[in-house]
Amino acid sequence: MRRKVCLLGFILCAALQAQATDATKLFDSLRNKILLVKDYSAEVKMKINVRFMRIPELSGTLYFKSPDKMRLERHGGLSILPKKNNSLMLRNLIPPGHATVIDAGITTIAGKSVRLIKIVPDDENSDIVLTKIWIDEQQLLAVRTETATRTQGTLVMDLEYGRYISYGLPDHVTLTMDVKDFKMPKGVTMDYMESSEVKPSEDAKGKKGTIQIRYLSYEINKGISDDLFKER
Amino acid sequence: MRQLLQIELFKIFKRPRTYISFGIVTAISLVIQLAMLTDGKSYMGFAMQGLNEQFDIHGNIINGYFITYIILQSLLIQIPLLIALVAGDTLAGEANQGTLRLMLTKPISRNKLVFVKFASSFIYTVALIIWLAIMTLFLSLLIFGKGDMINLKSDTFIMILQDDIMWRYAAAFGFALLAMTTIASLSLLLSAFADNSIGPIIATMGIVVVLTILSNLDLPLFNHIKPFLFTSHMIGWKGFFDDPIPYAAIAQSAFVLVVYTVGFVAITMLYFNKKDIKS
Repeated sequence: MRRKVCLLGFILCAALQAQATDATKLFDSLRNKILLVKDYSAEVKMKINVRFMRIPELSGTLYFKSPDKMRLERHGGLSILPKKNNSLMLRNLIPPGHATVIDAGITTIAGKSVRLIKIVPDDENSDIVLTKIWIDEQQLLAVRTETATRTQGTLVMDLEYGRYISYGLPDHVTLTMDVKDFKMPKGVTMDYMESSEVKPSEDAKGKKGTIQIRYLSYEINKGISDDLFKER
Repeated sequence: MRQLLQIELFKIFKRPRTYISFGIVTAISLVIQLAMLTDGKSYMGFAMQGLNEQFDIHGNIINGYFITYIILQSLLIQIPLLIALVAGDTLAGEANQGTLRLMLTKPISRNKLVFVKFASSFIYTVALIIWLAIMTLFLSLLIFGKGDMINLKSDTFIMILQDDIMWRYAAAFGFALLAMTTIASLSLLLSAFADNSIGPIIATMGIVVVLTILSNLDLPLFNHIKPFLFTSHMIGWKGFFDDPIPYAAIAQSAFVLVVYTVGFVAITMLYFNKKDIKS
């Protein structure tokens, strides 16, 4: 009897170990695929939905250079990106270095079967506390990430792929993030109307904000000068 | 009528003090432009403190459109004084110089005289607003260049794309003209009551200052009277820089200003018709 229990325990441990190893392999493969892109420039259209912001859809060129340089060039216009704009990159929502990967099983997103893995970085000083990634195993693509950070709250990224699937680069990204209120003294601004009289759009309500980016075209790994990212 | 208007305009633009207003507009515009040129970044840093914690905003933020908005915001409080300098003098100045009685010996109706005085004050207001547009918008664009415009409200950040701005300024200056015409008509009314021009000028400013304070005090006590004060509607030009543009509110403000203007001119005519002209 004791021998049978030991055998069962051994099989269970082996199965869990194998599952963790599979999840780690899956995570490493995904990370390696994402890291293949060293730089890109992309024509984008960006829509910012934040309760206190009224910004029209912005068109421009989004430049990225590994590991974390990003710039939106709007050809003479103003560019607006989240403070740590590298959070717009999938690669920066995934913990760097060694991490513990936990397999959370199979789930569905938009009717598609995906594997959910949870990643806890080994580095205790990392800004990322926990990342969940929903992975399309067949195509090795992250379709959703949810990252809990120390400084930026929780960031959720939904990704849709199309023409640049081989690079793991999305055609459409929706980043949902926590936003704080914006206030200025009324005596300074001398408002004509209360802003509350102007109704915000449905998706701009609450303490969450979303940034939607449509990537119209990419130029990948063509080399981008560091000068492009310098403050002007 | 036309000849009478020409004479009135000649009188207004012949006086050196008429050009003081143009000089003051020039001076204030240049001072703010210089200040923004040298220290604009720290001003923006302070204004956008709450926003900069969450977003990185790059590009020519301190551009001509933004500077124009800042100047207009501060100048449109002082411009009523400049309007009153001339409009407050139209009837009272004549009375002070003893020429009013002489004028009324001519075959001109008193209503016509009041209307011509109002029309000449309006033309002066148009000239001042055009000068304001040149000194603020065109000069600022020349110095600071173009760009998307940021408009900061007390709890909202609005961004307007640069190719969507010029028509808003045209509408805003048009609205500012309407607001300043209301001031001109108020000055004209006060001018009819007085026999020297200092009184109407000071009284106009006093009324504008007190009512502006009431319009901006965020106290429930005044909330019921605010919609009836013309000073609450004088800043309607700002509505053109909102998103979405509150057309209904702007139209209501324009209506209130027109009613006040017509009312002030009508009361002036009524009073002036019955006034015993002694000087």
